Formats: sequence, C-alpha cells, structure tokens
Amino acid sequence: MASSHNKDEKIIYVGDSRVPQKNHESVPRDYMAYPGKSEVFIPNFLLKEWMVASVFMVGFLVLILVDPAPLGEIADPTNAQFIPMPDWYFLFLYQMLKYPYLANKFVVFGTIVIPTIAFGALTLAPFLDTGKERRFYKRPISTGLMLLSIAAIIFLTNVSWMHYEEELEAKGLKPEKHATGGGKKKEEKMGVMAKDHPGFAVFKKATCVSCHGADMKGMSAAGIPALLGVGDKLDQAAIMNIIKNGSENKKMSAQYDSNINNGITPDEMNQLAEWLSKQKKTP
Amino acid sequence: MKSVYSWMDERLDITPLWRDIADHEVPEHVNPAHHFSAFVYCFGGLTFFVTVIQILSGMFLTMYYVPDIINAHSSVDYLQNKVAFGDIVRGMHHWGASLVIVMMFLHTLRVFFTGSYKAPREMNWVIGMLIFMVMLGLGFTGYLLPWDNKAYFATKVGIQIAETAPVIGAYIKEFLQGGPVVGAQTLTRFFAIHVFFLPAVMLALLGGHFFMIRKQGISGPL
Amino acid sequence: MSDGIAKGHDQHTEQSNHKKEMSRRQFLTYTLGATGGFLAAGITIPMIRFAVDPLLEKGEATDFVKVTEVSKLTTTPIEIRFQVNQVDGWVESNPELIAWLRKDEAGNVTALSPVCKHLGCTVNFVSTDNKYECPCHGAQYTNEGKNLKVAPLPLDEYSVKVDNGSVYLGQIIPNHLTSK
Repeated sequence: MASSHNKDEKIIYVGDSRVPQKNHESVPRDYMAYPGKSEVFIPNFLLKEWMVASVFMVGFLVLILVDPAPLGEIADPTNAQFIPMPDWYFLFLYQMLKYPYLANKFVVFGTIVIPTIAFGALTLAPFLDTGKERRFYKRPISTGLMLLSIAAIIFLTNVSWMHYEEELEAKGLKPEKHATGGGKKKEEKMGVMAKDHPGFAVFKKATCVSCHGADMKGMSAAGIPALLGVGDKLDQAAIMNIIKNGSENKKMSAQYDSNINNGITPDEMNQLAEWLSKQKKTP
Repeated sequence: MKSVYSWMDERLDITPLWRDIADHEVPEHVNPAHHFSAFVYCFGGLTFFVTVIQILSGMFLTMYYVPDIINAHSSVDYLQNKVAFGDIVRGMHHWGASLVIVMMFLHTLRVFFTGSYKAPREMNWVIGMLIFMVMLGLGFTGYLLPWDNKAYFATKVGIQIAETAPVIGAYIKEFLQGGPVVGAQTLTRFFAIHVFFLPAVMLALLGGHFFMIRKQGISGPL
Repeated sequence: MSDGIAKGHDQHTEQSNHKKEMSRRQFLTYTLGATGGFLAAGITIPMIRFAVDPLLEKGEATDFVKVTEVSKLTTTPIEIRFQVNQVDGWVESNPELIAWLRKDEAGNVTALSPVCKHLGCTVNFVSTDNKYECPCHGAQYTNEGKNLKVAPLPLDEYSVKVDNGSVYLGQIIPNHLTSK
C-alpha cells in the first residue's frame, strides 16, 4: 500500500486506533435547530468578533498610555504608616471583615463561611436552579439573589474605598504611585560622616544613641528621626538648641543637662553639635 | 504552501480538525450585526482576548523580572522606566489583570441571566467558575511580585485572612508564606504559583471550556 | 433560438452571481486577515520592541579609570588590576579587570587585555621568554600582543590616556599595535 505511486490514493492506516478510518465530508454542519439567519464562523462571524476586539484593544492601549502602571516604594516591613489595601476586586471581601459578627471572634464567618457559601452556591447554580425556564424574569429567586449579591458587592467595594480615602486624608498620605527612582540609592550611600571628628566619640557616649541609634538611623516607626543628613536641615546652633531645649514637637526632651551630669564636658557638647552639623547627604 | 499542506493532510488527515472549527454556523441571536443587544455575547471572547494578552505580556516581562526581594523592585522599576516600551508591556499586564476580571464578571452575569448554565451545560458552568477562581488566584499571587509597599502589606493581610480558616488555617499560612515571615521565600513561591502552576491549570480548564462549547453549541435564543 | 439566448443569459447571470459570491467571501477573508494582523500587531509590537531593546541600546562609552603612574612602567609588561563601575540593568557593580601595561622604547604606554583570543582563558606574561602564554592550549603572543601560536587574533588592548604622568584606561578595543 505504501509503495503505491498513485497520488490520488489516500494512505489508510489499518489497525491504528489513533486515526479512525472515516470518509470525512467536510461539509459545514447545519445550525437548523435555531430559526433565523445563521452564518459561518470563519470568516463572517469571526470578522465581527475581531472588529469588536480591535475597538476594545484600541481603548485598552489608550488606557495604558494615559495611566501608567503604578509602582510604589520598595516594600518596607517597618513602615507603620502604610495602609494595606488589596486589589480592587478583593475589596468587598476585605470590607466584610470590618463588621462585627464578621470580625474578631467571628472572623471565620467573614473569611471562610460567607465566601464559601457565596462561591459554592454560584458554582453549584445549575444544580440548585434546576427548572427548565431560562429567562431571568421567570426565575425570581435566583435572579433576586444574584441582583442582591451584585448590589452588596458594589456597596461594600464603595464603602471600603471611601474609608480608604478618608484614612489617607486623616494621615495626610498620598497613595504611592511611582517610586522615587534614585531616592533609595542615595539613602544607601548616605552614612555616618566625619568619623574621625571628636564629636563622634561624644555621640557614642551621650544619651543620643539610646533613641537615634548608633547607626543614626532613628526609628521611623516610633517617630524618631534619623540623624543622617541632619546637617542639611539644621546648623550647629539649631542642633545645640534642640539638645538644650528639646525638639519643637516636644517628642524629644532637653538632653543637655543630663549629659553634663553624666560627665560630658560643655566643650564636648559643642563638639557633638558641630559634628552633627557636618552630617550632610551630599559631602 | 499548498503542496506542503496536502503532503501533511495526506498523512495526518488534518482537514476535518480545522474544518470543524471553521465551518460551524453561528446562530443569529448571538450576532451583534443582527441584534445590537447581542454584544453581551462578546464578553467571553474578550475575556479570552485579554487572557492571551496577559499570557504574552507576562512571558515578556519575565525577560527582565527577578523574583528576589533585593532585586524584584529595582528590576520592575528598570523594565518599566528604562526599557523601551516597558511602560506599555507592564501597563498591559497591570491593566489587563483588572480588565480580565471585569470581562469575566460580565461574561458570568450574561451566562447567569440568560440561564445558559442550565442542562445540558452544567459542567461548563462549573469549569467556568473554576476559571474564575484561578483568575482570582493569579490576581492575588501577581499582586506581590513588584515587591512594593502595596504588594507587601496586601499579601501580609491576605495570608492572615487565610490563617483564620479552622484547623487547616495555620498550614495554609505556612504553605503560602514558605517561611516565618512574608519575605524572600514567599516571593519565590508566589512567583512559581503565578507563572507556572496557575497558568497550567487555567490552560487545561480553558481547553475544557472551549471543547464543551464546541461540542454543545451556544445555548439557544430566549 | 430565443430559448437558447435566454438559456445563455441565465447561465451568464448564474456565473456572475457565483463569481460575486466568491469575491464576497474572499473579501471577507482578506478583511479578516487584516483585522487579525492589526490585533496581533497592536499587541505584539510593543512586546517585541521591549524584548529586543538590549540590541538597540547604544553602548555607552566607558569612563577612563586611573590605574597607575607612567614612571612605574618599564618595557617589561606588568600586571595591573583595577575596578570599573559597571551598570548591568538594575545591578550596579565594580568588577575587577586585569591589564598588562608596558612602556615601549619610544615611551608610549600600551595596555593589553589578558583574555586569550583562542578560547577566552587568561594569559600570563612569562618574562623569561618575553612572551604571553596561555595555560589552556599553549597560545603565545609577543609582548605587543601579536599572536604567534594557536590564537587566530592578537590580544585586545585597552584605550589608553596619559595625563599629567598618570595612566588612564578606557574600553577594550582591537589591537592596533601589531598591524604597524
């Protein structure tokens, strides 16, 4: 058979279950079940679908060009100010957890029970709603439940978003949209300057270290500022003023006297202030 | 071209495979050219279109992205701001992720309100719901990958929510987190799930979805 | 007779109808192809441009780095290690490079890269032979980098700048000493 040179003869694999021996007549199947005009998938109908897709794609590309994808600052687990927000399509689930009976002791209702019932019921819809009727206005129960769920989703999402915006405003924050490119690198390169200055030795034995830290990075979570680069903002006199009288927002109390009592001389305190004023980001 | 095709067709008998897809008739009631309201039947196709965009843009993004807490953020920053068209490719993936949910939601509502999930199409509805859940999983795992504050804290909360599940909660948390904190091991895990596991599941489900549509045809007019 | 004409006429219209039907289908097919092409192009062109960006990016000229003083060089090459700042995508590093520097009889400073042009091993200068030798496959070069054995090309050199008695090295260029 395979040795046949007759071109018209089709090779037939006998006894091979993978290729059924069938005489295909490639005739389009009828859609007679549906009255009215039907049309062939390729090219007529697909052309219409692709036209819709083209319009959709142009809109999509315009959206992308108008609003670039956001990228916030690199994740910082110590950032206590940040308000966690899931992606918008999880907001309604997230919002549910803020209501009593769905939170705290009963949180399992909000996180597991309700979503499981909702998604479970939706998944099993064909087995719960077994009537023959397909028109939505003739199946009030399933339609009603669905409309109710949609209303609830829209309501919860909206409440959640409003709440988020209020919180942002209260904290005076703006959503991080774009990372401030070089900022991170500058901070990394910023270190303790002028380590051979006598003020550095004073800093290490004075009370400063207990809060601002030996690395001078402060504690952002507790509102204690870093001293790195402090010389950019304050001069020697202003630093001395804070050491003597405490900070303007009263978070830091006057430190001068207690250090003098600990055996640091006024001269050394001046060296300390002078050294701190030399802490600049840009040498 | 033609002779290559007939050479292959002679051996593999491929004509019926594509004729079956190409030549089937599409009924009038889903054709927007006949009734404009039939555009609601486009949502499924558009969901698939966005899915294709997601797969392609995702593949291209991995050319630059690294799933590592030290470099992830800067690699995303680099590919978006330094590489030509990077903002467009990342924009496609970012906005496509939202659009695919919107389109899928609309498609689900269409199927629901036209009662198309009823017999004999129950199985296809269930598969569709599974696709929905896989998509949500892709959204959740993909959200962490840029490793910015938003990503980190949302994932932390998400994992805490999973932890509240009775009995298995702690195990789910441990499994998702991969380590004692949301960190390096969480990121690689989410990357693997986002890029390999869930897409593989989704392609299988999509295959089933399309096979059943072709086999059972579109549900009739109301 | 008239029957025949009518029949012929009928046939004609039938044929033209048939033709029209064909061209309509063909028109639809072409339009479908064009629309599909538009969709595919809109989606893939940005992605392909994104992927091939490294090919189209212009290489930045590397900065010259000060490595040593002219006074320290002799006609015998010495090995000098120096660091350059390298930005590779999002990774910035300071890899160490090796150069063999010598001053020729006229006092011109030359710097050779010790990467063997055979298969990329690192060559060493053997002062007893006054030759560069490669440990891998025995390639040999003169002290100017001219290939003597095994290697197909002379050793590459660094572009050199001498300013105020200091030697600065720039990027790697093909050897031009041996062609003279």
